[in-house]
Amino acid sequence: MANSEAKTARAEWGTRFGFLMAMIGGVVGAGNIWRFPYIMGENGGGAFILAFFTLMIVLAVPGLMAEVALGRYASKGVIGAFRDITGPGGLVGFGVVVVLVNIALMSYYSPVVGWTLYYAVHSLLFTFTTPAFEAETFMNGLFANSTLLIGLHTVVMGSIAAILLLGIRKGIERIVVYAVPALVVSLFIMMIRGLTLPGATDGIAFAFTVDWAYLTYSSTWIEALGQALFSTGLGWGIALTVGSYLREYDDVPLGGGVFTAIGDSSIGILASLAIFPVVFAVDGVEPDAGAGLAFVSLVQVFPEIPLGGLVGIVFFVGFFLATFTSGVVITEVSVTTVYEETRFTRPQTIFGVCGLIWVAGLPSAYSVDILDYVDFVVGSWGLPLATLSIITAIGWIMGPERLRLLVVNRNAGIHIGSWWDPVIKYVVPAVMLFIMGYYAYDQFGSPEMIGGVVILITFPLVSYAIMSVADRDQTDYDAERAPVSGGDD
Amino acid sequence: MDLTTDVLAMLVFTLLSFWGVATAALVLTLRQESRKVEILEHQDQMDTYSPTALAELREWIEKNPDDPLVEEARSQYNECVKALKETDNHFYDWDRTAIESLEQL
Repeated sequence: MANSEAKTARAEWGTRFGFLMAMIGGVVGAGNIWRFPYIMGENGGGAFILAFFTLMIVLAVPGLMAEVALGRYASKGVIGAFRDITGPGGLVGFGVVVVLVNIALMSYYSPVVGWTLYYAVHSLLFTFTTPAFEAETFMNGLFANSTLLIGLHTVVMGSIAAILLLGIRKGIERIVVYAVPALVVSLFIMMIRGLTLPGATDGIAFAFTVDWAYLTYSSTWIEALGQALFSTGLGWGIALTVGSYLREYDDVPLGGGVFTAIGDSSIGILASLAIFPVVFAVDGVEPDAGAGLAFVSLVQVFPEIPLGGLVGIVFFVGFFLATFTSGVVITEVSVTTVYEETRFTRPQTIFGVCGLIWVAGLPSAYSVDILDYVDFVVGSWGLPLATLSIITAIGWIMGPERLRLLVVNRNAGIHIGSWWDPVIKYVVPAVMLFIMGYYAYDQFGSPEMIGGVVILITFPLVSYAIMSVADRDQTDYDAERAPVSGGDD
Repeated sequence: MDLTTDVLAMLVFTLLSFWGVATAALVLTLRQESRKVEILEHQDQMDTYSPTALAELREWIEKNPDDPLVEEARSQYNECVKALKETDNHFYDWDRTAIESLEQL
């Protein structure tokens, strides 16, 4: 491992806009469109927004700054960045944990991207506005057709591999600079259509009515906390990897922190304004949660509204772009790291990583029940474990003060003061531990918790063992930087 | 159904606090990028720290002489001081007196 000396030429983003769109493309996904609007409406509307905005500012913005800064500092993928701050050995295994969680995440996210692709294709065929179309039957038909689902999963991973083969600038950057603005435009068009429908104000009222009592409910804050952390992908290696391709004079905190976190949430707000006026304009359609909102409720609406077929195209093509760009950037996290840590060429690495994700994703593609289980287990335990690994490495090994002075405030568009240090060192890790503790309490004894415990035990142990063996010959480790553990701030 | 004042106020607050902040951050960072490109078209180096950030870096270097990263910090400090003294166009708001008072560490 640690073969990076043989691969010295490292890509960079071609433009600032390319970096920003890669960050947004990576973190904006299905959750912004099918989860955020409903969670907002169900948790006090405006009250939820206040709680969510507060947590974004206090946790997600500083956290993303830290993760991008670590990538910028190391100019390496996840494992290389961990090795730079811990030195070679078992602790680098926590970087492996992040990669494993990313592969697990993509294994069930790729089939979800496949669903959005299927619906985008059918929107282009105007299937949803044909007479006698039944939205629920159509969705159940898709979920019952395992061959089709595996085929879609294969197409998605093949397409992601093809884009990654083109590289950082010609592949990822070229896609995201068009796809992310196209997503925003498509939601904006749908919002305009929705707001001009009779009854649209009911949708606005559902989402934005302020029920102050909800600010006193713990459930509101826990939902807001989950949304703030999961929606921004904090600590999943996405921001670290995208940040590792920054150019010499690029800023970290304004683009990587403020714009990414608030921009990501803004897409969720726009989705709410696009979806609810349309849903509430038609009687009898429920603003259901999760996949049901996008794949049943909205689909039922399109035949009932003027230009519904075109609105369907705009929505589902935008939805597909949101999920697909996330898939591309999430897969790049593992590709960058494995490429740097092995003797494989980039094409070999891409085929290997995408092939592994494809194989690991077959059960989730085959059965929606399996997908739901893996989603719950990885989402509740794996992703917080990855976040905790990265934030702990920054907060307790690298030291936030050192990272802030050396990276965050260098070439920065805004100055970050010392308030940031305790947030990274104490607040974010404490919140992640709280979330995991809450999930343990909430799911105690369930099959999901058993799966979560398996992840919590096996991922760190296996990863630690792998890196202890892989790095054992690196007593003469000659990194560009000495390990920096022992941050005293 | 007419929207109440509360709902409208919340809608405006939400648009300003999310879309307003995100748009402002996007415009600001892209304008800063243009400014950096403009500066680097006329010179091959540029100041890398604001006056406040450079002062904080200096203070940390002086307080932590044995830190494993102190050499890297010193190198970055000196690089910024050198750029400030050798160039006329600066990205951050530096005044001539402050630059003249800076010394390499």
